[in-house]
Amino acid sequence: MDEQELVRQIQEGDEMAFTELVRIYKDRIVNFLCKLTGDYQKAVDLSQETFMRVYFKAHQYKPVAPFSSWIYTIASNLAKTEMKKMRKFSFVSLDDVQNTLPIEAYAKNPSESGMISNLKKALNSLHPRYKIPVILKDIEGFSQEEIAQILKRPLGTIKARINRGRNYLKKELEKTSYKENSFVKKEECQNG
Amino acid sequence: MDELNLLKKLERVKAPPDFEQKLLAQVSLRKRKKLRVKYFRLSLAGAFSAALVFFIVMNVFILPKKSPVEFADFEKGFSSAFQRGKGLRKRETIPIIEAVDYTGEIRTLSREPQTIYLLEQVFEGTSTEIKY
Repeated sequence: MDEQELVRQIQEGDEMAFTELVRIYKDRIVNFLCKLTGDYQKAVDLSQETFMRVYFKAHQYKPVAPFSSWIYTIASNLAKTEMKKMRKFSFVSLDDVQNTLPIEAYAKNPSESGMISNLKKALNSLHPRYKIPVILKDIEGFSQEEIAQILKRPLGTIKARINRGRNYLKKELEKTSYKENSFVKKEECQNG
Repeated sequence: MDELNLLKKLERVKAPPDFEQKLLAQVSLRKRKKLRVKYFRLSLAGAFSAALVFFIVMNVFILPKKSPVEFADFEKGFSSAFQRGKGLRKRETIPIIEAVDYTGEIRTLSREPQTIYLLEQVFEGTSTEIKY
């Protein structure tokens, strides 16, 4: 069934339509919020709140934009509020990036490659202003126009934020790989 | 760009299996809470409007109405007490000057025989003033 039709049914109080919509979006929203907050349990809680808002505020939805934009707007707003509450923002200037992660942090996780682990850490240290557009673009696969619609910002701003976020991640990865290499070389020297 | 490919390679997490059940339970819980709040608001509004109606009925139909004189007395007492305290008003009496047109009376008198009326004061006391 069409998403718009499902929302229309939710507006009439149909719980089956709501369950169907939850089934479609639950994994995407949980994944998005998990990448945003870096905490799975918090992501699940925020996803629940997102769907609750969808159910109780369904009458506010206007079918001028796709439903996915609306639900992602709710989710990102909730995440931003939560992150503010937690004071989890780590304000890092994009021009003057100082890597403060301990060298042990770069040790390879058996379940994932070191590069991916480093990328996760870099992503977590990124300011939400850049993190949200990057996640929406490169992980969730939204177009720049859709992201502008979700975040209610001009297209130029979104393009700039995605670009800055990506540059920051690139810099971070380069730095961590350099540190890793120097750490390995040092260990080799010590071992003879 | 390598980092973009890596971003796509990041593992995707899934919602827990009991996600929907928990969500529906929360939805029904919030529905009940909303309903309770709605009833509370309605009862509050009802109580307020009942109090308002009671107040209006008491004032309009049940409490005795004051006549203008009583009201004036009341006002006088109130205002004099108030102004004595403030020292603003010195006079508590208001002299009333009534304008009387005697021309009609003189015209009627002119038809009668020439009579001189001597008007003299009968009452020795000073004119009294109406006190409010």
